[in-house]
Amino acid sequence: MGLQNARGALLRLVSVSIICMGFAQVAPAGMIGTAHLVNEESRAASLSRIEVLLAREDVGRQLEAFGVDRALVVERLNGLSHAELLKLEGQLDSQVAGGDIIGLIGAVFVVLLILELVGVTDIFKSF
Amino acid sequence: MFGATRVYRWSRLLPALFVLPAGCGSIPPSVSGLPASSQAVELEDTPFYPQERYQCGPAALTTVLVQSGAAVSLEDIVDKVYLPGRQGSLQVELLAATRTEGRLPYVIDGSLAAILQELEMGRPVLVLQNLGVTAIPRWHYAVVVGIDVGRRQVVLRSGTDRRRVTSGRTFLRTWRRGEYWGMVVLAPDQLPAAPDRSRYFDAVAALEQAGRTEEAAIAWQTALGRWPGNSVALFGLGNTRLVLGDYEAAEDVYRDLLEREPDLVVARNNLALALAGQGDYDIALQEIGIALSGNRDAAVERELRDTEATIRRRHSLAD
Repeated sequence: MGLQNARGALLRLVSVSIICMGFAQVAPAGMIGTAHLVNEESRAASLSRIEVLLAREDVGRQLEAFGVDRALVVERLNGLSHAELLKLEGQLDSQVAGGDIIGLIGAVFVVLLILELVGVTDIFKSF
Repeated sequence: MFGATRVYRWSRLLPALFVLPAGCGSIPPSVSGLPASSQAVELEDTPFYPQERYQCGPAALTTVLVQSGAAVSLEDIVDKVYLPGRQGSLQVELLAATRTEGRLPYVIDGSLAAILQELEMGRPVLVLQNLGVTAIPRWHYAVVVGIDVGRRQVVLRSGTDRRRVTSGRTFLRTWRRGEYWGMVVLAPDQLPAAPDRSRYFDAVAALEQAGRTEEAAIAWQTALGRWPGNSVALFGLGNTRLVLGDYEAAEDVYRDLLEREPDLVVARNNLALALAGQGDYDIALQEIGIALSGNRDAAVERELRDTEATIRRRHSLAD
């Protein structure tokens, strides 16, 4: 009788699992998830925000003063992963209370931050 | 993301406090964003869950969840977000627990103006405060239920206080030390008062990934009302339909999207699956062929090949 009970319980468990499987919403094999496009879009937005900064004349002068080629920086930026780009944006964000970042912290500092994060210089490591 | 709105925290309201009571004169441009009706808002019917020791996270989250119409109890939420070892909760857990209730957590801009906008939509705002000092932090979650611009006061459900009234200045000081973190709980068919598209899409995609497919479908539909024809929202809507097994509806959405963006290979990949779901294997494989010929991305190519193999396998099983 104990065995019967155990078998009954097992059967119930299995049937419940099967029913649950029927209801569980599983993405079909091969589906490319929404996050793929969401990440791609926010990556593009991050990139364009930083590129707008880099395209500024005062930033350009500063890059020149450091002897850094803007094209190299853009190339490095394109090579960053989504997570790295977010980190770069976060760093820029944390430096300012908002508004015009260049006006608030100056082109030199912005350039240094970007260069540091794309790995062109490691100037901040010495602090 | 460079926080253009952050600079307008109190500063955006302060001029209002001084200028508006005078009722005249030149209103600074930064104030013009504040609606005239924003003198005082208080959501008095917001429920209150007095916190037990250290459990401000669950209490605050339950408050905003219940206010959004979710049927949850404080006990459920304690189990989900309270970390006994840390004597508290983490922000990510509050976000995750919100999703498990089929609601969208949306992190608002860190400004009083942003809180005010949400209050005016009838949504209380869960905020992270630091009530200690920087050296000895005392983290605390509370819920802003009211702002009185004229009196410069903020009204909170906080700890064991059903209605704590605090000066705007004190609130801002404690909120600043919480890095101006605040979130609202949205029903799937609601948009934030001032939605940042990318942040809202992230929130919906996270809800989708958390397995709340039906709610995510509603949210993508809602997003399309605000941003008609947006590719990400259409893709999300198609994907939720596909996961729900509504293949015809998914096909319609993907076709609409591909008409707008014929080169969106990932959408064509999923269109093929929607077709295969209806038994149209040959057309599905044709779509994969089109996608492969237009694709330049190696990672996506592997996905396309996988999908192709999956469809062939299912086709041979179906025959």
